[in-house]
Amino acid sequence: MLQVYLPVAEISVNLLVMLGLGAAVGFLSGMFGVGGGFLLTPLLMFSGIPPAIAVATGANQIVASSVSGALVQWRRGNIDLRMGFVLIVGGVAGALAGVLLVRVLTKLGQADLFISLVYVTFLGIIGSLMLAESIRAIRRARAGKPASPRKPGQHNWIHGLPLKMRFPRSRLYISAIPPLVIGAIVGLLSSVLGVGGGFIVVPAMIYLLRMPTNVVIGTSLFQVIFVTAVVTLLYATMNHTLDVVLAFILVVGGVIGGQFGANAGRRLKGEQLRLLLAVMVLAVATRLLFDLILSPTDLYSLAPEMVGL
Amino acid sequence: MMRTALVLALSAAALWPQGEVHANEQARPEQVQSDISTREISIQSNFTGIEIVLFGSIDFSRGPSPDEGPYDVIMVIRGPNQPVVVRRKERAAGLWVNGASKTFPSVPGFYAVLASRPFRAVASEDSLKALGIGFANLDLGNSEQGEPADDGFRANLIRLREDHWLFQESDDAVSFIGRSLFRGSVDLPVNVPIGRYTTQVYLFRDGKLLSQNQSSLQVHKVGFERVVYLLALRHPFIYGLLAVLMAVIAGFAAWAVFRKE
Repeated sequence: MLQVYLPVAEISVNLLVMLGLGAAVGFLSGMFGVGGGFLLTPLLMFSGIPPAIAVATGANQIVASSVSGALVQWRRGNIDLRMGFVLIVGGVAGALAGVLLVRVLTKLGQADLFISLVYVTFLGIIGSLMLAESIRAIRRARAGKPASPRKPGQHNWIHGLPLKMRFPRSRLYISAIPPLVIGAIVGLLSSVLGVGGGFIVVPAMIYLLRMPTNVVIGTSLFQVIFVTAVVTLLYATMNHTLDVVLAFILVVGGVIGGQFGANAGRRLKGEQLRLLLAVMVLAVATRLLFDLILSPTDLYSLAPEMVGL
Repeated sequence: MMRTALVLALSAAALWPQGEVHANEQARPEQVQSDISTREISIQSNFTGIEIVLFGSIDFSRGPSPDEGPYDVIMVIRGPNQPVVVRRKERAAGLWVNGASKTFPSVPGFYAVLASRPFRAVASEDSLKALGIGFANLDLGNSEQGEPADDGFRANLIRLREDHWLFQESDDAVSFIGRSLFRGSVDLPVNVPIGRYTTQVYLFRDGKLLSQNQSSLQVHKVGFERVVYLLALRHPFIYGLLAVLMAVIAGFAAWAVFRKE
């Protein structure tokens, strides 16, 4: 019922299933205040979309969700444009490297494995850290102790690097190298995994760059728009794996789900949300890991031969 | 169904003159004519596969009745050739990774054999091989030298294509309707490649090839699907820009509709 033919992926998918998938991920991302790409892309792969299509199309979907998220932050004045641009410069370089890497690996037949391995690694680490942290926070809350405040103004080795720039909005005077490097790493991950990369860039901005917390989310969303837009463009031009029909269905589902998710999120406490999210992240990582370890149902696979680089 | 009926009626009409040349029938050799129900297959957003009917007739048929006809018909439908890489997973460091691979330079994107009875019984293995009829006789292009000897790659390529209905062998898929009229039908699945397809119809009697006839059909995308596909293929940068623009507009719209004042 309601099959829709995807003109670039050249497969037929169920419209309601894909809308539901977009809505479910939108719901979760609205609830947890995360981009959701790290859930969307694996879920697309689980539902039979080829990984290369899932990654490119996932990136396109994130452009939409980060635009509406960034607009909200923009109205509150929570975006450090200058920091955003430095991150974007690094991000574009990283994205280019990532798309090239995926292209070479696809030719070698190892792209799916690589994408899965990077997912398992990152989701495993992030999920475990979040799980441990949220359990500690919940225990602390039960014991009636206040959350331990972080000490501001501490300096680390990052502040000794050259190429210093002023970031007035963040009240920082630091080297441009760390944001460029962070941007490049996020761009690389974004293009390989089809994610926004907020789960890397937000902690990096807080703990490494020591940006004020109120501008972190907005600046992250702002740079995610541009990096995922560049990733979308690169996949469209170099790998021909972007399916705009699928992206549109996911965007529509995501917008609807996101609104309900934001409302649901308000009823839960921060640490409970993080615990739930951690469990989900670990579940996706485990499933991907099992797919790599368990004997595959079919040892053989077919792929069109790629010519050129 | 209606289209099929119409087509059959038309073909039957084309057979009329045969009665008049009855006297010459013994002398002239049989000729096979054939055509396809749909010369153009359009892929649109609701495309989930399509059934095509191949029909034909035997001129100067000597069959006394449909049941006793001495003829055998084999139809071969081929889609455009593409190079295909077959990869085999191997266990490395506890993980299943793609290991050995083999490239077949020209694999038909679609390949179906339809026959009026099990086609291996219709003609000798040699003549089937010469005509490239059946999976076993399919020419997938000369694979490059220095690669591992065929150790299951070819067989698994065929099996995987069969699983996706892109390769089909169906005996008893061609049926006679009368002394000289026959039809066969084949399902093109949703994942058929676009391009030009050829259909070959072979007429056999007692294992001997009497006549053959070829037609072709075109599978293409139309309308919105065609625009998107061509844009993505020929102007990928514009396609990518439009995709980003779509997402930005959707993001703006979502923000504008749901924002809290």
